[in-house]
Amino acid sequence: MRTSRRMWLVFFLGPATVVFAAFITYPILSALAFSMYAWEGIGRRGFIGLANFARLFATFPYSGLLVNAFWHNVLVFVVTMLIQNVTALGLAVLLARSPWGTRGYRVVFFLPVMLSLVIVGFLWALFLNPIFGLVNKFLTLAHAGALARPWLGDASTSLLTLIVVNAWRWLGFPTIVFLAGINAVPEEYVEAARIDGAGEWDVIRRIIFPLLAPAVTIIVLLTFIGSFNWFELPYIMQGVSGAPNRATDVLSLLFYRTAFGEVDTGLQDIGIGSAIAVLMFALLLTVSAVGAVLLRRREVELA
Amino acid sequence: MNRPMSGRVAAQAVLLLNAFLVLAPMVIMGLSAFKSTREIFQNPFGLPGVWRWENFARVWVEAKFALYFRNSILVTIASIVIVMILGAMAGYALGRFRFGGNDLLYLYFLSGLMLPIRLGIIPLFILMRNLHLLDTLWALILTYAASGLPSAVFILTGFFRTLPADLDSAARIDGAGEWLIFQRIMVPLVRPALVIVAVYNLIPIWNDFFFPLVFIQTDRLKTLPLGMTTFFGQYSTDWGALFAGLTLAALPVVTLYALLSQQFIRGLTAGAVKG
Amino acid sequence: MRRRALVGLLVCLLVAGFYPAAATGQQPVKLTFWSWRVEDKWAYDKIIQAFQQRNPGIQVEFVPFKATEYNTILSSALTAGKGPDIIHLRAYGGLETFAAPGYIAQLDFDKLPELKTFSRQLLDGARGRKDGKLYGVPFATQSLVIYYNKKIFAQNNLSVPKTWDEFLTVLKTLKDHGVLPLANGGKEGWTLEVMSGVVAPNFYGGTAFYDAVTRGQTSFKDTAYTNALAKMLDLRPYMHPNFMGVDYTTMQQQFINEQAAMFIGGSWEIGFFKAQNKDLDFDIFVAPPSKAGTTPWVSSYNDGNYGVNAKTPYMDAALKFIQFTATREFGQMFTDMLAQLSAVPGVEVRDPILKRVQELSRKSTPYIMLVGFRWQAPTGSTLLQSALQGMMAGSKTPEQVGDEVTKGLSAWFEPFQGR
Repeated sequence: MRTSRRMWLVFFLGPATVVFAAFITYPILSALAFSMYAWEGIGRRGFIGLANFARLFATFPYSGLLVNAFWHNVLVFVVTMLIQNVTALGLAVLLARSPWGTRGYRVVFFLPVMLSLVIVGFLWALFLNPIFGLVNKFLTLAHAGALARPWLGDASTSLLTLIVVNAWRWLGFPTIVFLAGINAVPEEYVEAARIDGAGEWDVIRRIIFPLLAPAVTIIVLLTFIGSFNWFELPYIMQGVSGAPNRATDVLSLLFYRTAFGEVDTGLQDIGIGSAIAVLMFALLLTVSAVGAVLLRRREVELA
Repeated sequence: MNRPMSGRVAAQAVLLLNAFLVLAPMVIMGLSAFKSTREIFQNPFGLPGVWRWENFARVWVEAKFALYFRNSILVTIASIVIVMILGAMAGYALGRFRFGGNDLLYLYFLSGLMLPIRLGIIPLFILMRNLHLLDTLWALILTYAASGLPSAVFILTGFFRTLPADLDSAARIDGAGEWLIFQRIMVPLVRPALVIVAVYNLIPIWNDFFFPLVFIQTDRLKTLPLGMTTFFGQYSTDWGALFAGLTLAALPVVTLYALLSQQFIRGLTAGAVKG
Repeated sequence: MRRRALVGLLVCLLVAGFYPAAATGQQPVKLTFWSWRVEDKWAYDKIIQAFQQRNPGIQVEFVPFKATEYNTILSSALTAGKGPDIIHLRAYGGLETFAAPGYIAQLDFDKLPELKTFSRQLLDGARGRKDGKLYGVPFATQSLVIYYNKKIFAQNNLSVPKTWDEFLTVLKTLKDHGVLPLANGGKEGWTLEVMSGVVAPNFYGGTAFYDAVTRGQTSFKDTAYTNALAKMLDLRPYMHPNFMGVDYTTMQQQFINEQAAMFIGGSWEIGFFKAQNKDLDFDIFVAPPSKAGTTPWVSSYNDGNYGVNAKTPYMDAALKFIQFTATREFGQMFTDMLAQLSAVPGVEVRDPILKRVQELSRKSTPYIMLVGFRWQAPTGSTLLQSALQGMMAGSKTPEQVGDEVTKGLSAWFEPFQGR
């Protein structure tokens, strides 16, 4: 009986454990180890300690590229928070009052989230073409031709443009999450506040925002992870080298082209690539862990 | 609700504007798909003068979209089926059996929710190479299946735990085998959870671009997102075809969404929305 | 019951999907041939047909990729032990990356006696740097030139400029008449590198500077070089006001649709331009020097080679195809259809524009970064392309470009260390 029970456990748990261990745990753990070896192509040579990291931090142009890409990721996070998530919060507050057509708005707002970023990227690249694209044509039609510019080619606007396109695709997601959070606020709290004579804004500020804290934490966390994993959109719209002049270079692009081949020669540097991966990994894990702790604490406070 | 009229009008205006900003680009994409390149340049906002269905025919046949679609469907279905089967089995064991290491194993799977697997792409690439799976659809299926497991185990274990305890013990007393209990009694009861698992994984797998980019080189094995990049390289001067390709690529997802929008909204935000 | 059927269907689908081309019996050998020449697919398809008629047992499929993604994709494929049977390879450092790790089959005069007649200069672009062995059949030489629309020139009473100042006057006249003088853009860095390859050699002194810098006697900080780069800034007012967002395809479109009078680019465009717009009346000239009477320098290089994947299961068939690319017959078809200068000796150039390219390229100088500085990462091209985007956008001076390139190259090019 006992052995057969154990056999059944192995039978039920075995396949999932093996698949998960082989294709998730093993690659992640080896990625950490790989950064400490010397590489020739994809052939692993001797153990070299932290030499890859030293090379990454100390030699031009890697050092500059790393810092440049890192700050771009930070910018993506901050600006996305400001324009995408604040807008989403505003829309959620409006939708929470159940105005006419709420159901329809929900469906429409969420629609772009379904689309592949490849489709979104190519679509907007066509729209943003400086000569044939309709964004500049629209500006000219609206007598704002002076605003027309090479959105994706100008180093001062290219990253911001990508962030806006990204927000176009994602906006519905935080909207729905915030909306669910607001709807979960017990009606009697709001009523009680109203009876006490609180105005609309007071209700939002005193009751809804504090109770929305878990949803906000989750969205901040997801935005952070998304911003630091950002790859598809810059790759599709600007190419693997983060054109123009590295203005849209981010850590994932730098990692990808270092590990899998530079644009003009296809040269690979797995050592440096692995070192970048380890740094990103450490950053993401730290922030996720901190976020998870914060989340739990806030939920406890609420309970 | 006695809010001032002006406030409601303003709210409607904001919501309508946002709906317009979401829909207009997609409508223009759909309309441009029927135009010639010249017409797109000269009349980007209007209706097409002639509806050129041939743009779609060209993309479907010449640009191999049929093939890319088949690959995407195969990969998505196979990965989700594996995730559901393995996830249900593991979730059943973790949710219904007490054994040493149960909690530990559960946490082990859950750790996958936090690990960014993309950063393991170099070892994964080398592993797939050594298994001779590179440039096959299996490389994608196994990766997607593995990365779908943590959420599946999380959702399903929770579900199995909520089922009444005497369900399986009664069956066991009746002499039913473990597999029979699992397959005939338990799985039908967690069907709603399986649907959530499927929906939660469907869109990310269907849309993924990163793993095909690294794993797949042969043209006839490309999934739709990767195939799109080949297509855009080859038809870069034919904007009618480009828009037709984009429209065609967006169509299945948009159709599915139109039919099941509530399920998708709930499924995709499942990780972020409680209860 | 229904579920059984569903599962059965699924299994069938899966099996059908994974074994779409289950090899049965004596089928012809199918070779794949990867390239970055998206624009040339139609011509390659025809050339391949001619090959297949002669070799009924072999089929070749030409699969082109976007040029800016090609090397990365090829690199991943070859390290995976996969990739095509026949590979369109770059030359020089671009070949070395793949030849050094043993991904490319070695060739020699015994296997390919046709190569004996090829010029030594071209074959140098097909050799590994470390071992000096041959890895490919050179396919074309390219020169960097300026295309101009003859109709637009005539309408504005303009003739081909002889000096740099005349060139600027031509540009200004066109702009004053409301014509976009230059189709060029800056969204893709390599198109700016091409522009530097056209403009700069006359001002830095061509091959003398190339020799000095590749021997490490000077660096890219040399004012001869940075002043030459500065000349590119003269052209900026004559490009589209949004030129930094203009990608390669848009550049081509503008010149093909006669929306721009000139296009600074490579000789590989001739065939494409003609195929896209039969009525386009265009010709070429090379970047004019500062003084009248001096022969201008033309940057040129071995564009690349056809190589064989060392891991191909069809080595004999692949070699047969490679051998075909070294024949006069292939060279003639290639030159006639694509209007590019085939590397095969003795090919007759019939296209008048291409003939002019050939004549003007007599005084040629190596395209500096591609020929001399692509051996290791970061390559001269990578560094220059990004820096030029900065320079053309106005955020970097030519001196900063020179500094950055020199500093970046010093990572592996020892003579630059400490400079």
